[in-house]
Amino acid sequence: MLIFIARRIAFAIPTLLIVITLSFFLMRLAPGSPFQNGRRLTPEIERNIMAKYGMNRPLAAQYLGYLGGVAHGDLGPSLKYQDKSVSDIIGQSFLKSAMLGLTALVLAIAIGGTCGIAAALHQNGRADYIATLITTLGICIPTFVTAPLLVLIFAGWLGWLPTAGWGGPRNLVLPVLVLALPQIAIITRLIRAGMIEVLRSNFIRTARAKGLSQRRILLRHALPAAVLPLVSYLGPACASLLTGSLVVEQIFALPGLGKFFVTSALQRDYTIVMGTVILYSALILVLNLVSDLIYAVLDPRVRLT
Amino acid sequence: MSGAAPDLAFTGDPETASQPTGRSLWQDARRRLFRNRAAVASLALLVIAAIVGPWLSPFAYDAMHKDQIWSGPLAYGHLLGTDALGRDLLARLLLGLRVSLTVGVVATAVSLVIGITYGATAGYFGGRIDEVMMRIVDILYSLPFIFFVILLMVTFGKNFILLFVAIGAVEWLTMARIVRGQTISLKQKDFIEAARAAGLTSGAIIRRHIAPNLLGPVVVYVTLTIPGVILAESFLSFLGLGVQEPMTSLGTLISEGARDMALAPWLLFFPGIVMALTLMAFNFIGDGLRDAIDPKDR
Amino acid sequence: MRSAASVITALLLALALAACSGGGGRAPCPAGLRCLEAGNAGEPLTLDPSKSQNVWEGNIQYDLFVGLTQWNARGEVVPGMATSWEVSPDGLIWTFHLRDAQWSDDVPVTAGDFVFALQRLENPATASPTAYLFYPIAGAEAVNEGKAALATIGARALDPHTLQLTLTHPAPYLPLLLVHTSALPLPAHVIQRWGDAWLDPAHIVSNGPYVLKSWQIGQRVLLARNPRFWDNGSVCFDQISYYPTADAVTGERLVQSGEYDLNYTFSLPRTRYLRQHMPAYVHGVPYLAIWYLSMNQRVAKLQDKRVRLALSLGIDREFLADKLMGHAPQALYSFTPPGLLDYTPAAAPAWSHWPFARRQAAARALLRQAGYGPEHPLQLEFKYGETAKISATALQADWRAIGVDASLAPEETQILYADLNAGNFEIAWDGWAMDYDDPMTFLELLATQTGSQNHSHYSSPRYDALLSQSDQQRDLHKRAQILAQAEAVALDDVAVAPIITDAARYLVNPDITGWVDNPTNWHLKRYLCRKGPPPEVR
Repeated sequence: MLIFIARRIAFAIPTLLIVITLSFFLMRLAPGSPFQNGRRLTPEIERNIMAKYGMNRPLAAQYLGYLGGVAHGDLGPSLKYQDKSVSDIIGQSFLKSAMLGLTALVLAIAIGGTCGIAAALHQNGRADYIATLITTLGICIPTFVTAPLLVLIFAGWLGWLPTAGWGGPRNLVLPVLVLALPQIAIITRLIRAGMIEVLRSNFIRTARAKGLSQRRILLRHALPAAVLPLVSYLGPACASLLTGSLVVEQIFALPGLGKFFVTSALQRDYTIVMGTVILYSALILVLNLVSDLIYAVLDPRVRLT
Repeated sequence: MSGAAPDLAFTGDPETASQPTGRSLWQDARRRLFRNRAAVASLALLVIAAIVGPWLSPFAYDAMHKDQIWSGPLAYGHLLGTDALGRDLLARLLLGLRVSLTVGVVATAVSLVIGITYGATAGYFGGRIDEVMMRIVDILYSLPFIFFVILLMVTFGKNFILLFVAIGAVEWLTMARIVRGQTISLKQKDFIEAARAAGLTSGAIIRRHIAPNLLGPVVVYVTLTIPGVILAESFLSFLGLGVQEPMTSLGTLISEGARDMALAPWLLFFPGIVMALTLMAFNFIGDGLRDAIDPKDR
Repeated sequence: MRSAASVITALLLALALAACSGGGGRAPCPAGLRCLEAGNAGEPLTLDPSKSQNVWEGNIQYDLFVGLTQWNARGEVVPGMATSWEVSPDGLIWTFHLRDAQWSDDVPVTAGDFVFALQRLENPATASPTAYLFYPIAGAEAVNEGKAALATIGARALDPHTLQLTLTHPAPYLPLLLVHTSALPLPAHVIQRWGDAWLDPAHIVSNGPYVLKSWQIGQRVLLARNPRFWDNGSVCFDQISYYPTADAVTGERLVQSGEYDLNYTFSLPRTRYLRQHMPAYVHGVPYLAIWYLSMNQRVAKLQDKRVRLALSLGIDREFLADKLMGHAPQALYSFTPPGLLDYTPAAAPAWSHWPFARRQAAARALLRQAGYGPEHPLQLEFKYGETAKISATALQADWRAIGVDASLAPEETQILYADLNAGNFEIAWDGWAMDYDDPMTFLELLATQTGSQNHSHYSSPRYDALLSQSDQQRDLHKRAQILAQAEAVALDDVAVAPIITDAARYLVNPDITGWVDNPTNWHLKRYLCRKGPPPEVR
């Protein structure tokens, strides 16, 4: 087990290095400059700005300089948000996105898990049919439709909840719901499929024959095996939920990382984009490792090497 | 299933795509067949509408009617109403359906070609080659793919063809993993050994024996990828990177409709229904095919 | 199934509980205070006056700082920190007399703070994007190019209350230029101590009606009353919160629900809807900013004036301004917007009074003369940014009606402006907003010496001569006449095709008092108040 973890970490470092290199050069090769925005930029002013951010140096020197910074945990200044450092911006906004995403994920696992089990137990019953229909719908409606729709209903017509903004917990109800809906749909489908498969397997039949109670069979024997597909889904899903959603953050005016990332990519704020890419890749690597470990704990057939 | 995940990585993951749903019972199969028949029928209808619809529509999709802007359904002979420029929604919806289906099919085909070639090669040769090739896939997986797509779109311009390539290039990773897994299990089968003994080259074996036998899982994945691609395009439309004016797509129509839904609800309602119908049809067919083709069920 | 139902019930219960715990979503306001909740379009990229260039940043900076001159509630420039000033007979030396005032840490505001601010603005190390605005001040350009020492700038503190500015040419509009955010005074004693960290709420001091209390990125900029402001007695709101509302529709809803008192800005194509559904909230008037079509005159087919005129004639400006954008902007036939101080734009061409069908006929005739027809249509590539999407689509259809085949080439803002500056386009949707309330801020764009910023590459010796003649004119009225002549020359040459003005756009709760619509779009919060009695202190 320890060797497995050590090997994965050893693999992670070159992976991150390649990711940084790839995204650094891709970003710089893209046309457009972070300082070009419609205002009159005289050549001397542009020169001043380039000099200030060290962008008048050769690209290779800039790359090495950036790598050196990253090695010391310095992600540099933001090119657009001039009063803030990248670590500041990512730190503040990642915490908020992560909180939102985690809440949505917990909610989705609770609801999706319950619905999935219920659907599997009543396979082809009315519950199953309703669950399938709702989950398919959940996958089919983009969040940029559900978000304004829920705002219109709960904030506009009913006036129960705030329209947008980052304030108390009441502000988070709608964004969490919007984030959770497609996840509920996916998790329900995964759990339903896993559960149906497991319930037909020999070891459950054996357990039934031994006269164990239905509850005990479900919770102690079937569930751990049925959540395996979910576990491997959750790794990448978790990473993208934690790093925020542009759509939700824009429509609900939330200070999250997803919005910063996409707008920064569109506006060529090189350093913020790079910082977010590094964070995302590191998260993926860690979460995949965690999900593999959980997998091994739940499934006795898997041996980590 | 891909595309429903949040924005940063809109690829799905291999395990879910190839996950068996379990052996169907007899009445289950009958019911599924019926449901699939409904799905197949509605999809066929949608495809026909997308192909012939734009020719039958009395209005051109890009014709402005300056005195008829924001008209509700049925006004001035516009069956589904008009948009901000007084353009006929029905004509635009039919065009949007055509564009979205095209993007879905072509982008999936792109991912199919890359994915099968890559996955089959890695799986067939195995060993070092396999290890290196799959490491590359792992690394690409750990990049947020919206980043890739944005860079592609801004580097080469907002080009219609490029949209296919961009989305296809994002989706091929999952396909490669599925194909590789299948190839490895196929490789040990007797008929491959026989072919090798008969002196066929590796290329010929991949082409003649491995690729055709991959068809089952690949077909399932394709039917589930097309709706994912349509959703991905709609997300790009929300960013303003999708299909450009005066052309349109379901995603563009919906993202604009969602913005103006209090002002002109029909602009969200009709495209929303068509989009939901399309995606649901693909999803049901995909699920059905998965049940039918899954090797465990044979 | 039962457990699923119970979970869903629990969630609904939680929703209901959250809903019952209080009414709308307005941020809490400390007892006894008046709070203004303001939506503000974007997250400030910086609050540093030397580095900023966006309106939403200016909205906050004008609450924090007061310059030599300032905006009044009607958007006019009036004396601010300077109570009076004299100009030398040659118009080159300006002497400003400053009022007694303190920074919010009780340190006096001196002429030295203004000198410091100008030197910092022009310092190449600051890399200010707006440094060029003050090139009329002697030595500024050389300093900004790194060719001269900071102290050579023509700004001197004669004593703590007297500031002297020396210009390179008479600029009678100087007071209008000095109201710009990049000329705001800076607290030299704080910046010298903290460097770029001076903006930290723990360090920053200001001389305006408010002080910066906190800044949570992407979330809120919080300002509190500055009791040391000289006119503190007239300020109504005790606290202002600025929220970035990147999504304009979200901004609308927040104002409608009363969560925000106002929002800058709203989306132009939604004006019509807003005028129907929340008419008391909508403030949309022509703004000192223009949208126009740049036509690259280095491209052979666009060197033909008849072609440029035909393209201009074929645009249905009234449809865009009135129908599509609900009368918030105005159809534009000149290169300067109406409403500039002491300036009457050059007369609109005669055809602007024709009905649209007649203009189209004239356009077709011109195209025929230029050798284009149904078998050989004029083909052009039309570049534009995301914000002009609907308008560009309308223009394409308009041109199709006169037989011009324009292909749409949408580009991202970054790339569009790179292409425009590089001359890499045929025709493009272009725009410009005033830097200061003077026609020169627009007319300069078409001068030959402007270089790459003159996107159309229009070049007319007569136009250039008139502009430099105006630079030597000290009389504002005569200067305005010269500039109007220059503008007429450019319009006659169809240098560009003006399309519409932009609109100054705000949504404001009708309970807010003191709001005066004006074409500068500056609405300083210190002039605003709310109807009803002041809150009681509990």
